[in-house]
Amino acid sequence: MSGVANNLIENLVEDLEPVRTLKPKSGLAIVGGITLIAVIAVATTLGVRNDLMLGMADEMFFLRSGVLLMLGCATAITVVNMARPGVGKLSRGWVWALITAALFPLTAAIMSAINMPPVEALRPMEGLKCLTVSGMAALAIGSGLTLWLRQGAPTSPERAGWLIGLASGALGAMAYNIHCPFNDIYYVGLWFTIPVIISAVFGRLVVPHLIRW
Amino acid sequence: MIANEETFRRLMIKAQGGDKLCYSSLLVECEKWLRRYCARKINPAAIDDLVQETLISLHRKRASYDPARAFLPWLAAIGRYRWIDSLRKIYRHEHDQLYEEMVADPQDGDVTAKVSLERLFGMIPPKQAEVISLVKIEGLSIIEAAAKTGQSESLVKVNIHRGLKKMSALIESE
Repeated sequence: MSGVANNLIENLVEDLEPVRTLKPKSGLAIVGGITLIAVIAVATTLGVRNDLMLGMADEMFFLRSGVLLMLGCATAITVVNMARPGVGKLSRGWVWALITAALFPLTAAIMSAINMPPVEALRPMEGLKCLTVSGMAALAIGSGLTLWLRQGAPTSPERAGWLIGLASGALGAMAYNIHCPFNDIYYVGLWFTIPVIISAVFGRLVVPHLIRW
Repeated sequence: MIANEETFRRLMIKAQGGDKLCYSSLLVECEKWLRRYCARKINPAAIDDLVQETLISLHRKRASYDPARAFLPWLAAIGRYRWIDSLRKIYRHEHDQLYEEMVADPQDGDVTAKVSLERLFGMIPPKQAEVISLVKIEGLSIIEAAAKTGQSESLVKVNIHRGLKKMSALIESE
């Protein structure tokens, strides 16, 4: 062994402090906590959709909530596991959740091709509100997850960026979803997809710079 | 002789608890393991830097080791990450003899084969692996690599870029 390596090892040993091993559960707790805060914030400031308050929610609400929650959880779990690397650990299970979520915009696109919806059905003003609120919630969730992941050793910062964006975008949209009163596929396919895509692209562009090690 | 997987794991668990003696032994063993791990997949002039950078990363990221899992796949993931990082930095260096005598430690043959750098190379298209090897490891210039492989200079550059990007996404693949 070279003298330089010896010196380095001596310095590293000298610098050793006990550490607590990183637990993916703590990352998930952060994501869950911020998502819950976002849901409560939406419910208290914008209100819960009427049919849900009356206990007669439309089936689209459950489908939409379930798919967004599934996508958010699958991608967030992959992200927190990326904090503890290991050859042989590469996980692609989240892809199936993404494919499932893609059914909404795909169905909306097919339906639009068959029968072009009127502009009113797309509700641009309400859509922009959806985009803004979902985006704010996504930013909060994504920031918490990114800060947590900085403690870990993700070996693919680019993939981590995409996944953090997808997770926070899906969970942010899920938070807004409890307020959103619209159920038609055109609206859901457009305005619940755009925040997830924007969040994923934003995550890919910003997160890698913050988590490289 | 290099420690086996179980010894590495036990030393690391002790090190996470703050045991300096065990940590010192761990780092010495890791240094030896990493030297063999990197052999023939990086220019000898860069081995010292790469091993030291990997040890520093091990130190900084030691909380990310899960004591319930094997140690060497964790160390190999860190090693691969630093290796690809170093390949991105190295552009041109002297033609040194590669350390042919450095081979993976036979006593951990199965583990080492699964986590090896060769395996990572095998996951990218041969044309990309070839130019990365020629330019980034053997130290040929882009022009020399282009002449040797029959690829255009711009294609050599593109293949290096794409190959490194692909390997970087596959660090945790077996």
